[in-house]
Amino acid sequence: MVYDSIANALIPSPASNPKDLAKKKRVNRTAKLKQSKLDVRREQWLSQVKNKGSKEENRGADRPKTPARDMHGSNEGESRPMVKLVINPGGGEENDGMMNHYSDWESPSNSPTSHTSSLASNRSVTNFTGGSSSGSSSSSSGSGSCGCYSGSMTEEDDGDDGCLDDWEAIADALAADEIKSETDHNINPESQVNDHVPQLEPVETVKDEGMNCHVQVNRRAWRPDDAFRPQGLPNLLKQNSFPMNSERNHGSGAWGFKTAGFSPIPMTCPICCEDLDLTDSSFLPCPCGYRLCLFCYKRILEDNGRCPGCRKQYEQCEQGIVTSKMARSYSMIPSR
Amino acid sequence: MATINNHTNNRQAAAATSSKHSLPHPKPADTQSVLKRLQSELMDLMMSGESGISAFPVDDNIFSWRGTISGSKDTVFEGTEYKLSLSFPNDYPFKPPKVKFETGCFHPNVDVFGNICLDILQDKWSSAYDVRSVLISIQSLLGEPNTSSPLNTQAAALWSNQEEYRKMVEKLYKPIE
Repeated sequence: MVYDSIANALIPSPASNPKDLAKKKRVNRTAKLKQSKLDVRREQWLSQVKNKGSKEENRGADRPKTPARDMHGSNEGESRPMVKLVINPGGGEENDGMMNHYSDWESPSNSPTSHTSSLASNRSVTNFTGGSSSGSSSSSSGSGSCGCYSGSMTEEDDGDDGCLDDWEAIADALAADEIKSETDHNINPESQVNDHVPQLEPVETVKDEGMNCHVQVNRRAWRPDDAFRPQGLPNLLKQNSFPMNSERNHGSGAWGFKTAGFSPIPMTCPICCEDLDLTDSSFLPCPCGYRLCLFCYKRILEDNGRCPGCRKQYEQCEQGIVTSKMARSYSMIPSR
Repeated sequence: MATINNHTNNRQAAAATSSKHSLPHPKPADTQSVLKRLQSELMDLMMSGESGISAFPVDDNIFSWRGTISGSKDTVFEGTEYKLSLSFPNDYPFKPPKVKFETGCFHPNVDVFGNICLDILQDKWSSAYDVRSVLISIQSLLGEPNTSSPLNTQAAALWSNQEEYRKMVEKLYKPIE
């Protein structure tokens, strides 16, 4: 019985592994493709970060390319120098190829930030800070898009090393970005900082959690999340949806384990075929593992006190009761 | 064996009479649980589709079954089929069922009345056994008799000569009607 429970407990993991492996093969290709594209984009970011100045706006503008197109349209029209417009299409095309699939998903999540940032840029006196803030905010939305990206990727597959590399790449780029944007925030008016920081921070933490989850927890962790996403998207509540989903996964995992643990215990008493209640199923009268209900156990104690499974006498501590009862029953036999 | 049988019968009768005076065990509840157990066994037996053995209650009486076993392959009983009767006591499965050959069986451990000398049907009975395990045990007993304590001494003596034994089995075998 113990062996059964172990075997059952082990079943889920081998069962999930072949599936993962099978998917991995198919996925690795797309993951590598995406990663290479991401690398290109990252290099672009980094080089732009180095260049600073007006280019920085491009970096910000480049990031959420497709999702925040409307915003960039407005920003570019207002405040961007021509250089950016020239550079944008180049990066834009590259990003388009990559982001097209996800643009539908990202646009709702990103548009709120981009709108606020565009508003902020409109509000702010200096276009440059506005632009930089939009850059920072769009970097946050960029990280948001990263979440989308990985999310959609894990939807197709079960996440793998390639995806992790992507995360690292994005994390690197974002770290570089953050330094930049933090310096920008120092310049920014307080209101804008308030606008952006709360959005930026949660997304970042979510991303980190996501990475950790990805490394430590099972790989299917995000699949239900993807199914959940459409509801969560409009509010941009990823920081809520992620922990909820991870909890849900832990819960389901625990549930699966529980059921696996319960299954080896027979549902009915093998002697009287009545259902075993909770007390009965936790009752293990013999080291051989043979279970039975308390009624039948009592009945056997009154009779010969031997375990039906192994024919050995039940435990010594109960021997006293057994013998006394047996003596009584023996004494009754002659009277019959 | 016959004396033992008589003894047990007497005891049964005594128990039946004593139960009128005082009820040591709540008999109705017991009968109910026996019923459930036997129904469950019947279901398992029919679902298992065990080859070579079968059993079914006689005349809607769940306490009295008619079973059949067929002689195992590569034994002197190959190709023969035997009918058995199983009657279950009210305290089944704490007590073993009474099993008898209804078809004559020339076997060291089966007497001319069809009584079977099998330890698990007597002192080695466990409530974990059921009809299925009993019938399988009897089936295997056919091919592997215990010739040291025979009920049928002639069969026990002849067992060493398998060819002659086979002839005897065929001669005495009366197929199920």
